[in-house]
Amino acid sequence: MSGQTGTELRATDAALIQKIVQRDESALAALYDRYASLLSSLLNRILRDTQAAEEILQDVFYQLWLNAAKFDPGRGSLPGWLAVIARNRAISRLRRHNPSEGEEFLETTVIVPVNLENAITQQQLLGRVKTAVENLSVEQRAAIELAYFEGLTHTEIASRTGDPLGTVKTRIRTAVESLKRNLLS
Amino acid sequence: MNGHPTRPEDFDLYALGVLEGEEKAAIESHVPTCAECAKKLAEARGRIALLAFSAPRVEPSPAVRERLMRQVHASAEIAGAKRVQPELERTGGFFGRWWAAVLVPACILLLFVAAHLRNENERLSRELAQEQATLQQQQLASERQQKQLDEARHVANLVEAKDTVIVPLAQQKGMPQGTAHVMYNARMGMMMYEGKLEPSPAGKSYQLWLVPTSGAPISAGVFNPTTGETTHTMMKVPQGVTAKAFAITLEPAGGKPQPTGPFVLMGAVS
Repeated sequence: MSGQTGTELRATDAALIQKIVQRDESALAALYDRYASLLSSLLNRILRDTQAAEEILQDVFYQLWLNAAKFDPGRGSLPGWLAVIARNRAISRLRRHNPSEGEEFLETTVIVPVNLENAITQQQLLGRVKTAVENLSVEQRAAIELAYFEGLTHTEIASRTGDPLGTVKTRIRTAVESLKRNLLS
Repeated sequence: MNGHPTRPEDFDLYALGVLEGEEKAAIESHVPTCAECAKKLAEARGRIALLAFSAPRVEPSPAVRERLMRQVHASAEIAGAKRVQPELERTGGFFGRWWAAVLVPACILLLFVAAHLRNENERLSRELAQEQATLQQQQLASERQQKQLDEARHVANLVEAKDTVIVPLAQQKGMPQGTAHVMYNARMGMMMYEGKLEPSPAGKSYQLWLVPTSGAPISAGVFNPTTGETTHTMMKVPQGVTAKAFAITLEPAGGKPQPTGPFVLMGAVS
């Protein structure tokens, strides 16, 4: 958190984005300190390669610096959006393909049901997500992890696990319903 | 499909990335035309994005932040230089028009010269493109070197600090063979793991944990070493956290948010 003022620590994401638009480097540093840990964990889990994860982490925040003027905080949550972009990029690298048109940097709106701007909320959410994932059956959890962290489709998961396609679809649908229920409760 | 998707969870499945073929195409063709479904998809993306919190905690190296801020600072300087350019072009506009008036009668003669200049310009453009590509490669190489230097500096600071402690990690009975230690400095909030372990069993990964004086263990890295490979991991310890021990467990491939597997190596901070 080096170099941050109390104002930056308390500032909302929207205020910090506005400062970045005005080329305030300390605002970018504040957002980095707020969300780098979350993104680093996600990228390392997907890529299992610290160097590749750090390259993408740096690039995602650099793109935020370059494109902040086009980001409308009213359209969605910054951390959710950063997580979507980081995941897309990591999976693209994992699968050695370039992001498709649908994964364009600024065209994705993400609405997160909670405000993640302070560390305490992030810590509480971490516990809730962990519990929600642990409540899934072993097979459901494995299928969700293959989808989210490895970017596999229904067919690819069925091929990987050897389970019938219908079983995989049902398993993931049930898991998604369960996560939705537990995360929103 | 022109109507709304019939199953609400289809948006979550799309955000998760598991849909394919017609199911995927149906969402992609409908959502751009329907504000209600676009909002549902944005909410589904947000729910699915929360799964990022289930990844084991891995703090980025402090060098990433430093490189990012250097990159941002350099781009701000370039942008500043570019803003000066239009002003110069505008100042030259008056003279440009004056010269144009003088040169119009001579245009026909200059056509031949222009053709030659165009060819020359194309040749120079090609050379310039090559130069730019070379420059970009050199820049990437330079960034890589800078990254290595940053990391080396952090290692040197950690090693040289008098209050850095070395925590040997002891082999646990019946577990894969290995030797490792962690260099830890509570004041600097830095730790560095160095160790050599047998390759992890199929479907398993080794996971390094920082055990704080209070609270749950914090993941400090997941690794799958190959034969004879020494693994190094450096991590910034989260603010306010003091380590009382370090441990390595054997976890399902990719690691877990909290330790679930057996301890392979373990050592307490003295």
